[in-house]
Amino acid sequence: METDVTDDQRALLEVSSRFMTDTCPLVAVREGAWRDVGFAATYRRQAAELGWFSMLVPEALGGGNVSGYGVLDAALVAYRRGRALQPGSFVGTNVVAYAIAEEGSEWARTTVLPALLSGEAPASWAVDAPGYRLDAGVDARVLDDGGVVLTGTKRAVQDVEEASWLLVTCSTGSGATQLLIRADSPGVTITELGTLDLSRRYFEVTFDGAKVDAAAVVGTPGAGDDLITRQLAIATTLVAAEMVGAMDQDFATTVQYAKDRIAFGRPIGSFQGIKHQLADTSLALEMSKAITVAAARAVDHDDFGPSAASMAKAFVGEAGVDLVQTCFQVYGGIGYTWEHDQHLYLRRITTDAGLFGDANWHREHLCQLAGI
Amino acid sequence: MTETFATIDVNTFRAQAREWIRANLEPRSANQNDDHHDLTTEDISVARRLQRKLFDAGFAGITYPAAYGGRDLTAAHEQAFNEEAADFLTPNFGAAGIVTFGPIGRSLIAHATPEFLRRRMPRLLSGEELWCQFYSEPEAGSDLAGVRTRATRDGDQWILNGSKIWSSGAHLADWAMCLARTDWDVPKHRGLTWFALPTDTKGVTVRQIKQINGNAEFCEEFLDDVVVTDADLIGEVNRGWTVTQTMLVHERATAEHGRLVIEPRDLAPDLVALARRVGRLTDPLVRQAIARAHTNDFAQFHLGRAMADRLRAQAEPDHAVAAYPKLAVGTYKPVRARLALEIGGSATIAFDDGSAIARQPMLDYLECRVQSIAAGTNEMQRNGIGERILGLPREPSFDTTKPFNDVLRQSREWSGKVN
Repeated sequence: METDVTDDQRALLEVSSRFMTDTCPLVAVREGAWRDVGFAATYRRQAAELGWFSMLVPEALGGGNVSGYGVLDAALVAYRRGRALQPGSFVGTNVVAYAIAEEGSEWARTTVLPALLSGEAPASWAVDAPGYRLDAGVDARVLDDGGVVLTGTKRAVQDVEEASWLLVTCSTGSGATQLLIRADSPGVTITELGTLDLSRRYFEVTFDGAKVDAAAVVGTPGAGDDLITRQLAIATTLVAAEMVGAMDQDFATTVQYAKDRIAFGRPIGSFQGIKHQLADTSLALEMSKAITVAAARAVDHDDFGPSAASMAKAFVGEAGVDLVQTCFQVYGGIGYTWEHDQHLYLRRITTDAGLFGDANWHREHLCQLAGI
Repeated sequence: MTETFATIDVNTFRAQAREWIRANLEPRSANQNDDHHDLTTEDISVARRLQRKLFDAGFAGITYPAAYGGRDLTAAHEQAFNEEAADFLTPNFGAAGIVTFGPIGRSLIAHATPEFLRRRMPRLLSGEELWCQFYSEPEAGSDLAGVRTRATRDGDQWILNGSKIWSSGAHLADWAMCLARTDWDVPKHRGLTWFALPTDTKGVTVRQIKQINGNAEFCEEFLDDVVVTDADLIGEVNRGWTVTQTMLVHERATAEHGRLVIEPRDLAPDLVALARRVGRLTDPLVRQAIARAHTNDFAQFHLGRAMADRLRAQAEPDHAVAAYPKLAVGTYKPVRARLALEIGGSATIAFDDGSAIARQPMLDYLECRVQSIAAGTNEMQRNGIGERILGLPREPSFDTTKPFNDVLRQSREWSGKVN
């Protein structure tokens, strides 16, 4: 994953990893310290100082990145985050910042964007929808003054707090519209959901006649598909990178366990029954790293980004779930205990596999992008 | 004539090659591809004449020592020649050519005597003498060090008896490199020796093997009291495993042939065409199958690139990582072949003979296990990744320290008990 990193990227990754270890080590993840709003705010501001939320925004708008390739930089940070199962809306905030920088109004660029870049406010992309269309679930009625009224529900929105900015992907009937709204606005209800993942929170967000001004619209009402496709490519690439990080860490500790655990008079990793499963898993992990880096480069460079990102999400999504299942099996009973960390990875990776479209969704998306 | 070929830089060499190629080789037309299947002796004669032409002009054995008919130039020079010649007809010896100019030629250079090399190498490089490997046996494949072909000392010569199999292009080859056991009372790796022999030596029987796809690229051989002299020993007596290791490295390089060189961006064109032909392009399950196959292709391509980058980045390249792309091909080829059959449905199990689009999935299906078995099975790659990359301990070995004779005897009494 980090074979070709530049010195600047290396420095970013080292300081980022140090920050994670100091601020939110695995024990803090496990105990849920990050659920506290005060803890989250401090974490976010410090992360912002490292440039975590600026990488997909041009310098002219207050952003910037170390290599000139923002998605690659962000993917490398995401990989380190995944290794340490870091909490917080990293993917969401970056995607929303990107969307505002691309097609946000003057108000969004001067008011919302600086708050995201500085870590003052978090952001989440409210996009999850049943079926193929991402604008499903919430209907947007455009008023004569350009304002929009929202009705409907988005589920599995990640890490929302009252101060969060939500980028809502909704339907005007004739096409997709995206707009910004604060989670504590009148007509917006957020309800925390029970989750598989223990390292992040998920919410159902209900809109009951919530109204925003025209300036809150990102892009042209009813014509959001192109931007949504690009946002999705970024979100899936970064989620894949977080997954690969978590996979790498879970796999490394499992291999170590296979060397340490003795049964029938020798380390269990010497049995081909275990060794061959780990070798197959290692192959899938290396392919996952390779396809994720390829996707990040493609999203940075050219029009092939959305296809490459969907392939990465589809491949890593399945490889990730396979990996945690194999690791579970190698650990045996110990992996079934709450005390062991294995289930934290199992939960996180399996959840990531379903975020922003599962493997089946992305394979269909790949076909549609190819025009068949 | 070797003195006239001084070392030259790649660009000058490329320019010379281009000029010569355009003046001397025929352009390749669209339907002339390098089909490695079932070449006739006629095809081989054509290839030999062409190879001679390249040799005389100094474009054969570009990376081989000048003393033995080569050019003493670098892989970059060879690459430049290949690029310039890509659109022209070059000698096609099929699998025999890949073996002769790859694993065999390289192993000979590394281990044969200068006298042997002076005698044989110019003929090898000029296409006059094609080579093959007498290597695997019916009872020794993955466990190559367990070969049982016997070489017995008889005065100043050796008598060979045994059988060999999976020799690519042996029916077209003039010479063979043969691995035989010369000492049965030492552990298996320490009693092996390599011999060179003409394939028409008295006592050698070469028989083509018909494959499940109807082609016959491989042969089996029977050696009955075949006489070889010390002059045709390759490497030292009982040190044959060293030569084998050289050969395996170059075999693996050969296995890399056929790897995708261009990033696959267009959604699996063959499978889309197949789905369209059978009218199933809108079937969600078919679309899933197409996208899955393409995603695997894409991941495999980038795995290959990532491993090449990793090797380049290492001060001391760890060639064990080559097991990853090998295992990837061995794993995903069968997956893709099965997906194609699912997409094609009944059209790929019963089809018009003229319909290549529906016929190809069947042929791919029959071929899909070649790379999971040949040149190192998936299981051997998994051992390599598990032990050499992940650092997992080896399985206990029962045969590496005992005399090979004892290994054979005890294996017949295998009870699972270890004493």
